Amino acid sequence: MDKNSAALYKKMQGEVESYQTLQKSCVKVVKQRALLESQLNENKCVMDELNLLGPDNKVYKLFGPVLVKQELEDSRQNVGKRIEYISKELKSSTDTLENMEKDMLKHREAVAKYQQQWQVAAAMK
Amino acid sequence: MAATANNTAKTEMIDLTKLSPDQLMQIKQEFEQEMSSIQDSLSTLHSCKAKYAGSKDALESFQPDWENRQILVPLTSSMYVPGRIKDLNNFIIDIGTGYYIEKDLDGSKDYFKRRVEYVQEQIEKIEKIQLQKTRFLNSVIGILEVKQAAAAKMIQQQQQQQQQQPQAKQTA
Repeated sequence: MDKNSAALYKKMQGEVESYQTLQKSCVKVVKQRALLESQLNENKCVMDELNLLGPDNKVYKLFGPVLVKQELEDSRQNVGKRIEYISKELKSSTDTLENMEKDMLKHREAVAKYQQQWQVAAAMK
Repeated sequence: MAATANNTAKTEMIDLTKLSPDQLMQIKQEFEQEMSSIQDSLSTLHSCKAKYAGSKDALESFQPDWENRQILVPLTSSMYVPGRIKDLNNFIIDIGTGYYIEKDLDGSKDYFKRRVEYVQEQIEKIEKIQLQKTRFLNSVIGILEVKQAAAAKMIQQQQQQQQQQPQAKQTA
């Protein structure tokens, strides 16, 4: 009986640990997602601004310490590509987050199950 | 609008009263965390707005007769070199992600005006959410207090019963 409950305890411990590591990486992904979101927003603002410009407006891009003149159309395409890329990244990170949440739920359920079994075992003693 | 808000608050209340004090505590903590992050973003937005408004004010104070005026150009925050305004009607604005655009005075003013309005919109959106969350948090705290009071009362009653039981045994 004692052996049994010890094994149960070990299993539970394992589940709790994997849950905690998942939780940590979850926090990381959430942070990354927030960063991506803010980048997407910034790029969208830039895109809006570029779309408001006429052909006689000059556009520059900062490379290190110097401003380099850019063609308006090129800039638009560049920012558009960037928005596309960030949107993709955002989507994939949302997917990973969802998967992680599912896994976390599984672990949580497993912990609850083991806890119950442990309590039953303890009560039978 | 107010009526619907009240209704949702009520349905939330019904759900909340069914929860255990532990669950309520958890909800409360989660909400408090959210509230602090909302507070953070609000203060960031306010400082952003102040920056844009500052740029706009600087542009507003530009006069058309300032051409060739002598100015002091800051090299650092405490060191300046003399300069002259050569071009009154061209400003280069940082629009983010490394892109800069050249605009005339009115265009620049317009840009900053739009930015200030945009940030203000975001602030209002977040303030609305903040208000909702505050209301919800308050109702959670209220119910939690009621539950805790009820639990304390129950413990008290149990203690009283335990005190009474030995007496009952004695009389029997």
